[in-house]
Amino acid sequence: MSAPEAEHQAGTSHVGADRIRSVLTRLRRVDPRLYVVYVAFLLILVFFSIYLRDDGFTSSQNLLNIVKQTTPITVMAVGLVFVLSAGEIDLSIGSVVALSSLVAALTLRDHGMVLGILAGLGVGVGAGLINGFFTTVLRLPSFLVTLAMLGLIAGLARWVTDLASVAVVNERYANVFGSGSVGPVPSLLIWSAVVVALGWFLFRHTRFGAHVVATGDNTDAARVTGIRVARVKIAVLLLSGTLAALAGLLYAGRLQSATSTLGEQDLLPVIAAIVIGGTRLFGGTGSVVGALVGSLIMGMLNNGLILMGLSASGQMIAQGVILLTAISVTLREPRGS
Amino acid sequence: MKAPRKVAAVAAAIVIVGVAATTSVASLTANPPIPSSKTLGTTHGPAGEKATPTSALKLSAAEVAKVKKGHYTAALVWHQTSDFEAAVTAGARDTFKQLGIKIVATTIANFDAGKQKSDIETVMAKKPTVMLTLPVDPVATASAYKAAAQAGTKIVLLSNVPKGFVQGKDYVSVVTDDLFQMGKHAADALAFAIGDKGDVAYFFHDANYYVTNQRDQAFLKTIQGNFKNITIVDKQGIADPNKATDQANAVLLKNPNLSGIYVTFSQPPAEGVLAALKSNGSKAKLVSLDLDEPLALDMARGGNVTAIVADKAYELGASMARAAAYGILKKKAPAFVVAPAITITKANLVQGYQQSLHRKPPASVMAALGK
Repeated sequence: MSAPEAEHQAGTSHVGADRIRSVLTRLRRVDPRLYVVYVAFLLILVFFSIYLRDDGFTSSQNLLNIVKQTTPITVMAVGLVFVLSAGEIDLSIGSVVALSSLVAALTLRDHGMVLGILAGLGVGVGAGLINGFFTTVLRLPSFLVTLAMLGLIAGLARWVTDLASVAVVNERYANVFGSGSVGPVPSLLIWSAVVVALGWFLFRHTRFGAHVVATGDNTDAARVTGIRVARVKIAVLLLSGTLAALAGLLYAGRLQSATSTLGEQDLLPVIAAIVIGGTRLFGGTGSVVGALVGSLIMGMLNNGLILMGLSASGQMIAQGVILLTAISVTLREPRGS
Repeated sequence: MKAPRKVAAVAAAIVIVGVAATTSVASLTANPPIPSSKTLGTTHGPAGEKATPTSALKLSAAEVAKVKKGHYTAALVWHQTSDFEAAVTAGARDTFKQLGIKIVATTIANFDAGKQKSDIETVMAKKPTVMLTLPVDPVATASAYKAAAQAGTKIVLLSNVPKGFVQGKDYVSVVTDDLFQMGKHAADALAFAIGDKGDVAYFFHDANYYVTNQRDQAFLKTIQGNFKNITIVDKQGIADPNKATDQANAVLLKNPNLSGIYVTFSQPPAEGVLAALKSNGSKAKLVSLDLDEPLALDMARGGNVTAIVADKAYELGASMARAAAYGILKKKAPAFVVAPAITITKANLVQGYQQSLHRKPPASVMAALGK
């Protein structure tokens, strides 16, 4: 080898070493906690696929069922990611689901599909605006405002039909909002994909998304930089209410009926899905895609643990242990932070 | 908002009709010596079917052997976890064991219709031969049950029937409590405890749930029809079971000389009412439905609780499993099967637990009984 060749090679290996060092540095800067949810998703999927290979877990029907079953949770989770990232909370989403489904079903029965959908969504818009008004104009904590709204709306949902279920007999509505499919693709999967895609774009690629994160990270600093913090907070609560109402419409379509208890127990699974997905409970950071994956993890656990033949208490214990493990990894603050 | 109420009421399966004599089922009970008043109603099936006692569901040795050979599987799709559900499951499990049927999935919906629909879809991945279930909402879950029935799974129902379901085609049988007798037994027990006279408060379940609605109505009908010297002075609808204590405090404030209280079910409303009776120093007698440790303990100690009316939950589960075998064998099953009611007092507390839940009373109750 000639001297220039050796020099060139030495130079090349020097550049290569620099590149490796730079990649390693970048990798070191990456917070592994952000990716734990995806690893957990894969691990759980692989585990159930192997363990339940003869029990129908991997059948396309069952996998589609998981997506269909988790769609309302995913839709609500997308809205709540914005709220949590802005440093607020919305506890009223479960009640909104019930009331919107009932209002939609009743309006649908008497006034047709379009008005039914608008009336159902109107419940969420109204709830979001009221939550926003009390939180920003009257400067009350969103925790307390939405807790009060949770009770108020749950009461309205019980009162509106006197606890009776309302059947959804409009087939077109049922097909669009939960029971139908486009070719082999269930309509619920499409709703899930559309809401997550729009939510991701809004959160990651718009000024509004940046303002949401800035508001949740440091409200005072956000205000100083010219962000209209109150508007941001009203907007996220409005978005959350509207998406909860959409979840109510999806429930009504999937079950072809509406009842006052729909969504009542969804708040905790939604929060769990979001938190597992990497959104901080106290604002400043969030992940829409993480929330989707968190929601799918919740659905997969429900499904897989049932198929494993565990007793009801066994399922609850296993789910608790797995979730505790997941949040221990995703939410643990680094030492010294 | 009457129309939706009617829709759900129609869907809510079973109604009390007419005035009839005591059914043969009532005679199967082993109750303490509480005089039985005239029976002013009876429990009928969703389409007016006559009640068949659980004892009528019988399998011959040859039929058991035939089922055993098939190595069939079962899914249990329940509404909630409770002593009741545990006893029903135990009854089903023991009977399935004798029939060689393996339980491959168990689910609990926690009264969430959306979750129950998901649960049904999930267990169908295992293609169970039979499904024992209590539908949380007869309207919302109907489509999922329909799909399961169409896939060939034999469905045996507990208490509730999905909307539009036809016996023999969509499900094998519906098994339930003798609901009218439960309410009647409660009325007889309370009347006996207060000497057939006095003021009584009536705490009913203020929800559209036909099991509790029928029991409550049976209590009311029996008291009003058979005990002319007993006056219902206050009717309290329990919409939020956790607020029963507050409601009971208010009732006791208005009616300090109350002789008795009926509470629709034990946990948590009757426990709450009992707490109010204790804190107010009231001597009013309390009767409620469904076995529960705090109530049983108070009864064992000679407190306010004078009787608990219960169903034979273990027997319900065992009967459902036998009905499932009818479905597998394509044997004609009775449409509407009922398990008898039991009145449990201090005198028969141990036997009552055994009959209802197929186990001993909790240690605290045994200790209070000195056993």
